[in-house]
Amino acid sequence: MFTKIDELHLPDHYHLDGSDACYFIGEYTAGRGFAHSDTNQFIYNLKKSVDRRGLPEYRHKEAAIVQAGRVLRSSLNPEFIRRGTFVPIPPSCAEDDPLYDDRIAEVIRAIAPQIDVRKLIRQVVSTPGAHLVQNRPGPRQLYENYQIDESLAFPTPSAIAIVDDVLTTGAHYKAIQRILQERFPGVPVSGLFLARRVPNTE
Amino acid sequence: MATAALLPTIRAISPLREMGAYEALWAEPKASFKSLAERFREFPDRLPSDFVSEHQTAYFTQLVLQMLRESGVMQFGIRVHRAGEYPKKLRDAEDPVELLYYRGWWDLVDTPSVAVVGTRQPSQQAIKNTTRLVRMLVSDGYSIASGLAMGIDTAAHNAAINSGGKTIAVIGTPINQVYPKKNSDLQEMIARDYLLISQVPVFRYSQQTYTRNRTFFPERNKTMSALTEATVIIEAGPTSGTLIQARAALAQNRKLFILDSSFRNPELEWPREFESRGAIRVRTYDDIRKNLSLHVHQNR
Repeated sequence: MFTKIDELHLPDHYHLDGSDACYFIGEYTAGRGFAHSDTNQFIYNLKKSVDRRGLPEYRHKEAAIVQAGRVLRSSLNPEFIRRGTFVPIPPSCAEDDPLYDDRIAEVIRAIAPQIDVRKLIRQVVSTPGAHLVQNRPGPRQLYENYQIDESLAFPTPSAIAIVDDVLTTGAHYKAIQRILQERFPGVPVSGLFLARRVPNTE
Repeated sequence: MATAALLPTIRAISPLREMGAYEALWAEPKASFKSLAERFREFPDRLPSDFVSEHQTAYFTQLVLQMLRESGVMQFGIRVHRAGEYPKKLRDAEDPVELLYYRGWWDLVDTPSVAVVGTRQPSQQAIKNTTRLVRMLVSDGYSIASGLAMGIDTAAHNAAINSGGKTIAVIGTPINQVYPKKNSDLQEMIARDYLLISQVPVFRYSQQTYTRNRTFFPERNKTMSALTEATVIIEAGPTSGTLIQARAALAQNRKLFILDSSFRNPELEWPREFESRGAIRVRTYDDIRKNLSLHVHQNR
């Protein structure tokens, strides 16, 4: 079942505020490694780099995608699965990059075959993963690097869920929420995350 | 339904609301951990908020948030059964708690941990034994859980911290109260740098006398046992609350260790009683080590 981000979680995701409708399943403990918890193991598998494709270990990633689809399917409103539009947060590597990882879109497709998944958000320039840069970009910088893929904008969604695997500061969510609300005024936007990141003691 | 907004989830847990509902359930005069557990056993798909009106839930959420803030607890977390990261191991308890409050670093719950508990009036030797044992457990990679009471508990937490280990306090007061007061600094330190856990309802506790609130202490021992893989009893009298934890540990299929000194005390019958039911008599540290998970894994 989803947990809704409420006041108690906001200190961990400082770009979000009380009005954001964001939901998550588990908690991913940063820096604790694979074996720390079920959620950590799941997220590690899901994020396994695509350059491992073809190796035996890659089946863990594929299994994690199927599992994520199943968990989301059982937690989502069936009506939303039929009528909602699912927008993956774009991966850091662009589509022509060998390290391009389409896992979030694959997770969404694993929810239901006919689901409306649209990669509505394009990056103007490819960005290094947020964890690789010294200063994480804020929502404003991210927003400036995003544009709507107009070829996918029709039909106008009736409700949008932005989807990502791990909710960290909420910067990407806020940037995409803003651009979607500008493009589709009045359409409700929410955020679905497989896990939210929590700090660890080390 | 046609006009209802299209929401992504059928229902999502708001931990804060569940806290309000839990507090409301506890505000009922006859509430106990047993009676609550019975209700949830009967309706296993329900959350606390399913038993309480919207209005009551909102009222207690605000009230308890305010109480916590007024006592200086600005940040805390909630674990509620059926939401992510609720520790499955809690379900091994006879009357498992549906909701927990915590402060500090939740990730410690998922580290291998051992509870070290005992009397509030220990001998000097018992304190020494605690410190030495905790040091060894820490160097073997275990977090140390205890109950923040006087005596052995305090020694166990301090030894864990002083030897560079991690510690978890499972307390018998709400997260905004301290007992004994002497341990205020220790509790704050644990809440800041380690992990402090309580199942005790904030509002109910504030409405009761000390005598009524004392019944919360043994309840937390059952939870502490469920959260850890083993309990070590350093020293305990025949009527000690520690023995509640000993019983719970065996009932929950956790390892129970009793130091040899208790067996050698002719006035005590409980060590042999527990031994006959599966407790392990500890003559050397190795008796503990070889029965714990990290050792078993290393030697697989």
